[in-house]
Amino acid sequence: MSLLQVENLQKIYTTRFGNNQVEALHNVSFSVEKGEYVAIMGESGSGKTTLLNILASLDKPTSGTVYLENQNLGNIKDKKLADFRRDNLGFVFQEFNLLDTFSVEDNIYLPLVLAGKSYKEMNNRIVPISDELGITHLLKKFPYEISGGQKQRVAVARALITNPKLILADEPTGALDSKATDELLRLFSEINEVGQTILMVTHSVKAASHASRVLFIKDGQVFHQIYRGDSTNEELYQKISNTLTILATGGDSI
Amino acid sequence: MKSLYFKLACSGIAKNKRLYIPYILTCVGMIMMYYIIYSLSRCPLLDSIKGGSNAKAVLMLGTFVIIIFSAIFLFYTNSFLVRRRNKEFGLYNILGMNKRNISKVIGCESLILSAGSIIVGTGIGILLSKLAELGLLNVIHSELSYSYVIPFDAVISTFAYFGAVFILLFLNSLRIVGTSNPLALLGSESLGEKPPKGNRIIAVVGLIILALAYYIAVSITSPIDALSWFFLAVIMVIVATYMLFISGSVVLCKILKKNKKYYYKKSHFVSVSSMLFRMKRNGAGLASICVLCTMVLVMLSSTICLYIGAEDSINARYPRDIINEVTLSNEGQDNDAVVNQLHKSIDNIPLVKDKKIKDSVIDYRYSDTYGLLRDNRLITDVRDLETGGAISYSDVCYVMLFSLEDYNRQTHGNEKLGKNEAIISLGRMDFSFDTLSIDGTETLKIKKQVPLFVENGNAVSLINPTIYLVVDDYEDFTAPLKGKIGVTEEPLLSERWYYGFNVDADEQACASITNESLEAIKKISLKYNFGNDSFSYSCSSKAMERGDFYTTFGGLFFIGIMLSIMFVFAAVLIIYYKQISEGYEDRNRFDIMQKIGMTKKDIRKSINSQVLTVFFLPLISAGIHLAFAFPLIWKLLQLFNMYNLPLLIIVTICVFIVFGILYGIIYRITSNVYYSIVSDKA
Repeated sequence: MSLLQVENLQKIYTTRFGNNQVEALHNVSFSVEKGEYVAIMGESGSGKTTLLNILASLDKPTSGTVYLENQNLGNIKDKKLADFRRDNLGFVFQEFNLLDTFSVEDNIYLPLVLAGKSYKEMNNRIVPISDELGITHLLKKFPYEISGGQKQRVAVARALITNPKLILADEPTGALDSKATDELLRLFSEINEVGQTILMVTHSVKAASHASRVLFIKDGQVFHQIYRGDSTNEELYQKISNTLTILATGGDSI
Repeated sequence: MKSLYFKLACSGIAKNKRLYIPYILTCVGMIMMYYIIYSLSRCPLLDSIKGGSNAKAVLMLGTFVIIIFSAIFLFYTNSFLVRRRNKEFGLYNILGMNKRNISKVIGCESLILSAGSIIVGTGIGILLSKLAELGLLNVIHSELSYSYVIPFDAVISTFAYFGAVFILLFLNSLRIVGTSNPLALLGSESLGEKPPKGNRIIAVVGLIILALAYYIAVSITSPIDALSWFFLAVIMVIVATYMLFISGSVVLCKILKKNKKYYYKKSHFVSVSSMLFRMKRNGAGLASICVLCTMVLVMLSSTICLYIGAEDSINARYPRDIINEVTLSNEGQDNDAVVNQLHKSIDNIPLVKDKKIKDSVIDYRYSDTYGLLRDNRLITDVRDLETGGAISYSDVCYVMLFSLEDYNRQTHGNEKLGKNEAIISLGRMDFSFDTLSIDGTETLKIKKQVPLFVENGNAVSLINPTIYLVVDDYEDFTAPLKGKIGVTEEPLLSERWYYGFNVDADEQACASITNESLEAIKKISLKYNFGNDSFSYSCSSKAMERGDFYTTFGGLFFIGIMLSIMFVFAAVLIIYYKQISEGYEDRNRFDIMQKIGMTKKDIRKSINSQVLTVFFLPLISAGIHLAFAFPLIWKLLQLFNMYNLPLLIIVTICVFIVFGILYGIIYRITSNVYYSIVSDKA
């Protein structure tokens, strides 16, 4: 059984005024194996974010099911959802979403504090992670004192500290300059190499070219996917570009 | 183009109605209050009431307070509004309006707001002033019917004063908009902000000042000292409150944060760190709320207590319906014979004969003197004092001497005293020595200290510390003091006869009794021909004096209520704006927390505990301030002949409870606004 299994997902939004219905996702099915590094690509409005929100259990599908390690997300009670998210998923957002009232260290601790862990345990966990991400010297600072790239690394640390089954990244390079982007993608690859499963939504070809598999979404449907195979990053980059060109110019299928 | 500015101004107000409606209400409220109090202080009716000038003076004082307070407060709220709207002005600027154009928009807004609130405020003021007049006349126990005149000078004064205030507010808005860079402000919210630095020194200094102020309040024994220290203590408390709320709370949170076991708990983690930020932003606002609450509590409890206790005060000042007091001569007269004759001629007045209630008579003689009390020595001649010792007014001690005979009659007792022994009773002071020496007489050994045994309105009306002294050999003891001249060029010792009784008669009969008594006393004084001496006499009826008390106490009560309403208004507005600005700040924060794994319930719980703490901190602090101010209030009320401690305690507690409930209701209303803002997104 796969780590993440998505079956026939459909999401229909009804606009607030009137009865206009918009289908954001249509019959989406795919699965992610443990240790995989999957990128989901698509243009704005293609349904990427809707998909991610459903995977993150922040939103509910109109129909279809999502399994995480055989656990059907739809069967989890609302009250338990937040706990479930905290214990099983790690999030990295485009806007970092660090809390300005907390120091860097406290921001990373936040999910553990919510889970009721002791300070000693939290401290034990943060040391290797902050070393690996190169943010040990930043721990006592506040978010306003550090750069965007550093903020995103802190956010990654916050996602990793709960040892999540799956990391969900929503445009993690969207607000970073090219140097910080390279740095973050290198980190993601490293994390993935030691076994962390990552699912990343992006429309950056460069970001996607680091993944082991790329899914393409168009108009709410999974349109195509590319496996890395033995390609280097550069070769994968080329393949993705080609696919996007075909998608954009209106190839019906590939 | 002109109508465009006007339109922009109108739409600006309409779009920000969450901010503007409370502001307009406050303006209208302040203007209304000013008009009412001012027009009442000018009310011709008060001139025709006995003691009306007392009420007028109190009302003038109230007007003065309103002038100062409304100016400060409107400035505060106006700058809050303009700061909030800076972003909008920044947008206008980007869209191609220069600062001149923006000034015109602000000008239009100011015009609409000021003209509207002045007209509406004055209008409501005119309508309600009749009601207020009725209320005032009622509390000062006047039966005059009210007038229908609109005092135009009050209208003009209201327009002029608030017109000036609004012009200044307009200039202030221009200053704020002019000195800020709207472009930078547009993006300011996403910048994040520095963590607050708690200044330990300020916190410690604040704590020390507060402790000193509390010490002053608690340790003062004499009402005169209370009067002179009161304002200093008030200012110290205000300063300390601001220091502690701004800095002390941050320091406290930091200490909590240092305790890792405490801090890294689910229930403390979020609230402590957010409180840290909240306190930095809101320390001043919370301190203002606390100060306003304290003022309202102190004002209401003291004025209500005075008003309810007015009858007690009157009874203390005039223990009987009719009070005669005659100062006798020191110079060799047979005072016993004089008093006898006085007694007889008063009792012979037909009305007195008929209506006097026998059981109620108080009748005694006493001598009084005064001097500077140093430890247990009463210095009667200040010129005897070694130079360098500063004279405090509260050291000036009033001494009343009674004969043992009178004492036993008053107390229905059978006390015996040896030579140079005395019984002592104290008013408004402490005295813990075994002996007392009055310059020029023999040192007295104090046999015992007793509670007050005579009823004497004069002693009550004084504010000085007072010693009531009973000696056996009264004549011998006072002899050395007779004939001495005090510093005020008046005899040092005066002997007086105090004669009071109740009558079963109405106010008019009382008036004629006093008149006839005065005639009778005058006749006797001429007969003994001590006209050029310090022979003086007075005769008063309680019924006639009552008006004076009620105009003063009623006026204070009325002004206390009015000012309290205004202060509560102000506190509510500060609370409301605080909730709004916090709501907008917290919105994103709670959104993030939810994404990271906080349940809605956790968030709501955390919000609740924070809002609750932040909200009730000022009320609790105000309660503590009130508790420490209590001894001071008690002393001050004694200056108004208010000696009913249980009444003051009950009134104070009731005022606090009622105010607390009101505060809770305000909390519920304003926190709903907060929740609606936060849950817009979360």
